Amino acid sequence: MEINIVGPKVYFTLPFELPILGKLEISETLVVSWLVMAIITTFCIVITRNMKVTNISKKQALAEMLVETAEKFVVGNMGVKFRKMIPFVAALFATSLISNLISLLGLRSPTADLSTEAAWAIVVFIMITAEKIRTSGFGGYLKGFTTPIAVMTPFNVLSELATPVSMACRHFGNILSGIVINGLIYASLALASSALLGLIPGAVGAFLSHVPVLSVGLPAVLSVYFDWFTGVMQAYIFCMLTTMYIANASEG
Amino acid sequence: MGTQDLVTLVPWTFIAQILNLFIQVYLIKKFLFKPVKDILAKRQALADSEVQKAVKAKEDAETMRLEYEDSMSNAKEKANEIITTAQSDAQRRSEEIISEANRTAIQIKNKAEADIQQEKIKAINDIKNEIGSIAVEIAGKVIEREVSAEDHGKLISEFIYKVGE
Repeated sequence: MEINIVGPKVYFTLPFELPILGKLEISETLVVSWLVMAIITTFCIVITRNMKVTNISKKQALAEMLVETAEKFVVGNMGVKFRKMIPFVAALFATSLISNLISLLGLRSPTADLSTEAAWAIVVFIMITAEKIRTSGFGGYLKGFTTPIAVMTPFNVLSELATPVSMACRHFGNILSGIVINGLIYASLALASSALLGLIPGAVGAFLSHVPVLSVGLPAVLSVYFDWFTGVMQAYIFCMLTTMYIANASEG
Repeated sequence: MGTQDLVTLVPWTFIAQILNLFIQVYLIKKFLFKPVKDILAKRQALADSEVQKAVKAKEDAETMRLEYEDSMSNAKEKANEIITTAQSDAQRRSEEIISEANRTAIQIKNKAEADIQQEKIKAINDIKNEIGSIAVEIAGKVIEREVSAEDHGKLISEFIYKVGE
């Protein structure tokens, strides 16, 4: 038996080719991303419909709770002056969370594609850098690399670049590992049930050995960790790091 | 249908995901944060106006209470005044009535005394006349002759007069 864990499927390729960027491929990642965006936006529209000032519905209470939680998270980690970051962090968290959890529907998570996390990490990296330059000026920003002594400059540059790389790879690695382990477990359980039911003699055994009965149950238990826990945790960690790095950048 | 590599950076996906993220930021801002913020601001405004109303109502109540207390003390004063006036009035009137009654009683008493006096005089005069005529009769009987009334009238009157005293 051969197990093949591959990257996202390419649904559609535009016929022309651009320099550097190559062919425009509409991959599973993008399609599911749009689905995720549609889900989040629809959810937002549904829970904010018919909002009232008093005597609020459960939906509205949820909407207000989400907004207040986002505000508390951002203001608590970054301070009041970063209030304008609230929608960004909220969008990042929601997209990451729903992208991670959408694998429960059997779709391929957009976060199981390094391009996605790299895109987010680059945006965060640009924000960090912009915040640093805004705080201490461009000269001060460059000078910051030579601290505490000039010899440290290459290491400082490296550690600066390591920030987005580590953020992207941490998130991607966790989701990918879930997929890989899930694939391995399904394959091994199929093999195990085939071997077990193959013990039944005759045609019945030959037929039943193709039914992966052992695949029922155990993957669901494992998905609590690999999909639910990891999915929520990585979304939270990514947002936590985003707020922390940007808040630290503003302190010079 | 082909697949992309498992671990790779695809430039188009990369760019598209950056755009997707910002579109998502815009969407979540427009459809979640803005309506919720609006409703929270409205609620805040409502709460503020309610608090203001409550403060105003309290102030009104305070003024009303002061006015009420004022009018209450005024009323009390007035009541006291009325009672005092009524009391002194009653006092005065009762005194008047009593003195009037006294006066009347004295008048009645005086009148009664005068009446009595008059009656007494009248009775004495009656008795005088009676005694006079009796005396003349007796004297006539005693001396067995007609005494001239005119002669002796003076004498008898004198006698009676002395008797009367």
